[in-house]
Amino acid sequence: MTQLAETYACMPSTERGRGILIAGNPKPGSNSVLYTNGRSVVILNLDNPLDISVYAEHAYPATVARFSPNGEWVASADSSGAVRIWGAYNDHVLKKEFKVLSGRIDDLQWSPDGLRIVASGDGKGKSLVRAFMWDSGTNVGEFDGHSRRVLSCAFKPTRPFRIVTCGEDFLVNFYEGPPFKFKLSRRDHSNFVNCLRFSPDGNRFISVSSDKKGIIYDGKTGEKIGELSSDGGHTGSIYAVSWSPDSKQVITVSADKSAKIWDISEDGSGNLRKTLTSSGSGGVDDMLVGCLWQNNHLVTVSLGGTISIYTAGDLDKAPVSFSGHMKNVSSLSVLKGDPKVILSSSYDGLIIKWIQGIGFSGRVQRKESTQIKCLAAVDEEIVTSGYDNKVCRVSGSGDAEFIDIGCQPKDLSLALQCPEFALVSTDTGVVLLRGAKIVSTINLGFAVTASTVAPDGTEAIIGAQDGKLRIYSISGDTLTEEAVLEKHRGAISVIHYSPDLSMFASGDLNREAVVWDRSSREVRLKNMLYHTARINCLAWSPDSSTVATGSLDTCVIIYEVDKPASNRLTIKGAHLGGVYGLAFTDDFSVVSSGEDACIRVWKINRQ
Amino acid sequence: MSFRGSNASSGMGVAEHSKTTYLELQRKKVHRYVIFKIDEKKKEVVVEKTGGPAESYEDFTSALPENDCRYAVYDFDFVTAENCQKSKIFFIAWSPSVSRIRAKMLYATSKDRFRRELEGIHYEIQATDPTEMDLEVIRERAN
Repeated sequence: MTQLAETYACMPSTERGRGILIAGNPKPGSNSVLYTNGRSVVILNLDNPLDISVYAEHAYPATVARFSPNGEWVASADSSGAVRIWGAYNDHVLKKEFKVLSGRIDDLQWSPDGLRIVASGDGKGKSLVRAFMWDSGTNVGEFDGHSRRVLSCAFKPTRPFRIVTCGEDFLVNFYEGPPFKFKLSRRDHSNFVNCLRFSPDGNRFISVSSDKKGIIYDGKTGEKIGELSSDGGHTGSIYAVSWSPDSKQVITVSADKSAKIWDISEDGSGNLRKTLTSSGSGGVDDMLVGCLWQNNHLVTVSLGGTISIYTAGDLDKAPVSFSGHMKNVSSLSVLKGDPKVILSSSYDGLIIKWIQGIGFSGRVQRKESTQIKCLAAVDEEIVTSGYDNKVCRVSGSGDAEFIDIGCQPKDLSLALQCPEFALVSTDTGVVLLRGAKIVSTINLGFAVTASTVAPDGTEAIIGAQDGKLRIYSISGDTLTEEAVLEKHRGAISVIHYSPDLSMFASGDLNREAVVWDRSSREVRLKNMLYHTARINCLAWSPDSSTVATGSLDTCVIIYEVDKPASNRLTIKGAHLGGVYGLAFTDDFSVVSSGEDACIRVWKINRQ
Repeated sequence: MSFRGSNASSGMGVAEHSKTTYLELQRKKVHRYVIFKIDEKKKEVVVEKTGGPAESYEDFTSALPENDCRYAVYDFDFVTAENCQKSKIFFIAWSPSVSRIRAKMLYATSKDRFRRELEGIHYEIQATDPTEMDLEVIRERAN
């Protein structure tokens, strides 16, 4: 039996030039936040970042999610205009699904009694905003007045109910109801109005915009009563705003990489209280795009996917920062050491270190953040290849060396015992690298799809498009073909030697994996055909007794080499979208990563 | 192969011995499984192998060749949710995708005629690779 031991969460997906919205649990004492990444909605506990829950039922990329005022339900919206209402605990049972708008939904809010929901977004001309009853979907108002995408909406948290909306047409609209009707419109901003929030006591609301201003309005009438002072104001677009629970302060985050806390006085003017700058390297990734004031925590999210949590009571204290992946995690590697460090990389060039039991441990700093396709790591050295024709070697001290190999690298492997030797396979052949020098480029004449090199650097196995495995012995800078093995019926996707070097396993695009005996080159375990889509990755346990395969069908299947393939353990639905990386940290724990940008650790209990 | 009539049935006869071995499995329960093969020279379906009642499903699957087609009958014993001991007879048309096209065609066209001779089959499975006749699949079909 297998069970999920840990999940390292993905971060909210961000987009340059737009803010993102994260929501917090309104139940007092609860510190969980909600955000979306790809098609999943993630509930993260701020006190314990390893405690996360993922809802993955949307058919389209999810955009925003919110807890209901009683904390029992979550309403989440996606880019097709559908809103799903599901239970916040346990199995996330779906209550209802509505098709609300004809385009992407950008913001969603519950009414304070939990009976109505207002959703705003892009509606292709018609209905850009809709408010409806949560259980029946009947409309509760007419929302005209906007001509372009409505970026945010807010529900007044106290009676009399009001809805305000703001959008790309620079307008802030005020509606009274229910049934909601247009009351007035204000054009105080000179650029996109990004976010709009009512204070928790309902007396005021604030709108922030890409014109760097924040304007405060009266909650009941919609009249402007003040602004955030320009003294010490933001120097970049303000993307999001959040009120403190006592309605006296707001936090705003901006593209100028800082978050500012303002005191809002009784007469409606805002004065700067404190500026929080992030301690990043100052690049585009540090632009802050989302914020939330949750009880005593101030959460800010940066474009690069770092969540920083400040303590509201003590603003000078350094924040707790953690990060994660935002895109498909395409490879995983486990570094020996104590405790074991797991390295994961995603195609956008992010390499992150994780420690089992603790979670996020740090990012590997890379001076040039090029995209990464393959990654191989041994102890202190990391070798990566991307979509330019270069292979990059990063040593423990951070020095990066780039080697241009002349064509696109398809697969990369290091000889584990002498890591300066690397084998890179390309479309037509292989390139042998020693250190930072190309030893030789060998044109093999067939389309190479996967390759691996033995830990002592004397043997290499190359898999081809036609499903044949060819074993070569390496001497100096030449390869001599020793044998050709035919069993696979599809292009080979991955080959790995077992840690004790007695066997190797290969997986192909036709869903089949085979374990071979190295010295006799005979099939050791066959009929590993239980996947229903191509095999993406494969890993051996440290004692060479177990093989795990991960596939596009989102399952991880674990086989024991000594037992028949039918005695397998299957982990279904490990990662929405497909499993792309697999590694073993010890004989009973498998780490898997996939398209949903999460990394999960599973414990295996063998009978 | 001779095509007779408008159905796709080939003119394979069924040997008497095959029918009696099947009846033994069904009535007297002396076999756990029987594997049948088409003998092209005699143009009939003959018994290739039988397994004693003590043999397991694993023995049965390993008795089937990897690269050639066969017909098989397996007697599956299980306990239902209401705690009754039940037994169901499965007919398995084993036609692996790695076998020769000629063999697949031969077995496919003769299957109907052969199946009609065997009365009392509860379930039929067509398996093109070992995962399709996995014990889990059999168990699920039986329940």
